[in-house]
Amino acid sequence: MPNRYTFQRRLPYLLLAPSVIVLLALILYPLAFALRNSFWFWNLQMGPAPLYYSGLDNYRMVFQVTPFAVALKNTLLLGFLGTCAQFWFGMGIALLLHTHLRGMGLMRALLIMPTTLAPVVAGFLFRYLLEPKGGVLPWMLEGIGFPVPPQGFLGNANTALFSIGLVDTWQWTPFFAIVLYAGLLSINEEIKEAAQVDGASGWRMFWSITLPLLRPIAAFLVMIRFMQLFNSFDLVFVLTSGGPGTASRTLSFNLYREGLVNYNIGLTAAMTWLVVIIVSVIINLYLFFIYRKREW
Amino acid sequence: METRHKVAIYAMMALVMIFFLGPIFWFILLAFRHPSEAYTLPPQLFFEPYLGNFGDTFVDPGNNAPQLLSSVIVSTGATLLSLPFALAAAYALSRFAMRGKEFIMNWYISLLIAPPIVFVIPYFILMSRIGWAGSYRAMIVTLQTLAIPFSVWLLKSFMDEVPLDLEEAAWVDGAGRFAAFIRIIIPLALPGIIVTSMFTFVFSWNNVIFPLALSKQSTTTLPVGTISFFASTGVYWGHIAATAVVAMLPPMIIFLLLGRYVVRGLTFGAVKG
Repeated sequence: MPNRYTFQRRLPYLLLAPSVIVLLALILYPLAFALRNSFWFWNLQMGPAPLYYSGLDNYRMVFQVTPFAVALKNTLLLGFLGTCAQFWFGMGIALLLHTHLRGMGLMRALLIMPTTLAPVVAGFLFRYLLEPKGGVLPWMLEGIGFPVPPQGFLGNANTALFSIGLVDTWQWTPFFAIVLYAGLLSINEEIKEAAQVDGASGWRMFWSITLPLLRPIAAFLVMIRFMQLFNSFDLVFVLTSGGPGTASRTLSFNLYREGLVNYNIGLTAAMTWLVVIIVSVIINLYLFFIYRKREW
Repeated sequence: METRHKVAIYAMMALVMIFFLGPIFWFILLAFRHPSEAYTLPPQLFFEPYLGNFGDTFVDPGNNAPQLLSSVIVSTGATLLSLPFALAAAYALSRFAMRGKEFIMNWYISLLIAPPIVFVIPYFILMSRIGWAGSYRAMIVTLQTLAIPFSVWLLKSFMDEVPLDLEEAAWVDGAGRFAAFIRIIIPLALPGIIVTSMFTFVFSWNNVIFPLALSKQSTTTLPVGTISFFASTGVYWGHIAATAVVAMLPPMIIFLLLGRYVVRGLTFGAVKG
């Protein structure tokens, strides 16, 4: 029956259609909204509608009025350093878990707790611990002679961004640890035994066998974590509000400030498009270099 | 393994556990401290527990109790709304050979890792235009930008594990695709559907950007509620800790229950734990 055949061929697309349509509506509206309004002067504090056509003014203003370049630099720095620290720290813990000593199963189950917290909650937790007067961490660090800035780590321009990265690392290293541990479990023991027979040392085995075999998992983890760090908003909001000054401002926080604090919708729209372009370039570069050979 | 090595490994693991669990433990203690003792140095491990922080926030005046309800409504709503869309899409991606499958999977994941703040500000304007400003609907619908792509990925990984033979056997017995889907796939993938729902619930629960921009005072969620304590009059650490501890419990319990599925859920099904 030709009808039935056609139906069968179209069925997967019909099944995909509802979710694709809903998602397209949910993302195309904001993108179209931002594209149109990026060419208009529109501040909600001055009126409920766009005031006048302003050409490319908003795009220029993004760089002149907001610390866009600083925010971009901070965002990339946070993304690279955070992902790097979390990957290697997590890898170390995964190797410890992989010794399968007694009690490792329980520790692995408990280790994931930081990752389950809402980033806002993690932010509060460390704001309390880092409080310059009365916080436990500055107290401990001073006790061992580590210099603590008088405004606290979150209030000092040199340490604020680094502290945000550290809190994120605290929260997400367990995620790397347990996923990389799962990756270690999936490596075929025979390959390792063969390498051992050939006389490979522990380090050699790690670099030449374990790490390359973990590559697909590692590539995936690094991509999603880098992007989540790139989007950092909750932690920044709670820990430093982008300060002091603009020392820890990220692109997401910059958008929030202009859009939902200053209500400068036109300028926010222009910035939205700049961020969308930057994100697309990063994701596509990554997919191109890392995922060429992998199929889902 | 030599005892010397074992001791070294346990010592390192102990440091790791203290580093990752210590801060949570310390924050939970804060919720039970009297506000006047929040900053006592040197830190006191043993003290008279004080329940007033929970009383103030959840009982009398209990400003945070409605936020707990809002969190439940928004997270449950977002989870339930995403399921039918995700089930259909995951079934299609799991069971059919089609052109562009890889592209569609990548498209879903690109939504998951896109910066949500980019969408939130236009939604903020849109919701007030269509009269949804501050409503639960506004949050539940917009959270689908994360809930649907996540559920599609995770559900597909579970459906891939249901053997095709069983479904084919049902077709031979005269059942249509839909009947086979209901009678074979749904029951066999049920654990996966439950796991997926629990993860979607947690991610919606922990989300702050959407409720921060789209809720009003009476519909705001618990994690956003904690932020409101950052008043200009001073920081009430006891209240913050009490609400934050209540907000962190459901995700913690769900993750402990999910056990061996945690790896799979956190990697959207890409890594089987």
